[in-house]
Amino acid sequence: MMKAATFQWLILLAMTAVAVGLSQASLSDNAILAPVLLTTLVKGRIVIDRFMALQGAIAPWRWVVLGWLVVVVGLIGYAFHMAQT
Amino acid sequence: MWFFILAELLVFGVFFLAYAFARTRNVELFNASQLELDQLSGAINTVLLISSSYFVVRAVDQIRHDRSRSCAYWLIAAMTCGGTFLALKLVEFGAKLEAGITMSTNTFFMFYLGLGFFHFMHVVLGMVILGAVTLKAWKGGYSATSYGGVETGAAYWHMVDLVWIILFPLIYVLH
Repeated sequence: MMKAATFQWLILLAMTAVAVGLSQASLSDNAILAPVLLTTLVKGRIVIDRFMALQGAIAPWRWVVLGWLVVVVGLIGYAFHMAQT
Repeated sequence: MWFFILAELLVFGVFFLAYAFARTRNVELFNASQLELDQLSGAINTVLLISSSYFVVRAVDQIRHDRSRSCAYWLIAAMTCGGTFLALKLVEFGAKLEAGITMSTNTFFMFYLGLGFFHFMHVVLGMVILGAVTLKAWKGGYSATSYGGVETGAAYWHMVDLVWIILFPLIYVLH
């Protein structure tokens, strides 16, 4: 179990590096939007399911927290996309 | 505790969306102001909070194995990360104030300082909770059959981390 947690921690660190790297690269605002938000979604899911241990928890807690993550990140993506068009 | 955590997430969610939609009307101002942020400091703070969350996972695992002292050591490691996060944020906020930047400078900095301080206070509260849990764990107050307090403190700390995981790309990275 702890090996899995260590692996997830390293994934979280790697995804943070990817997001920062993307923002430093000479890419358009639109080009970094989807990958950065995707890494945010994956990182959020790891924290909710693995660190908070909500995967397998009694409903509805997992779905409420995951729903919050998807709605917030999705609407942020919509707002940023709207601002670019 | 979960109702409290959900309420906190809702409040942060509203603030995040307020920032994102306010930005649609001031894109150039937000992008120009964002350039004045210390992205490296934000990235280091992300590493610190993610690592502290991992250390808390290790602490919960240790108390499940009835290792109270080891649980306390992992919690101390988590709080060290949390304390360093707070110190870096203070340096960051201090640099902005020294440069004459306040919440009334413009809409971007109102959100940056407001959201940042709001999250900062949650980290402080998380540190107080983890500190109390650590003290009890150190004294052997938890066991493999009774560790609800450790799990509750862990859930709150992970919430603080989860919020930062969105706050960091929103304010420091996306443009």
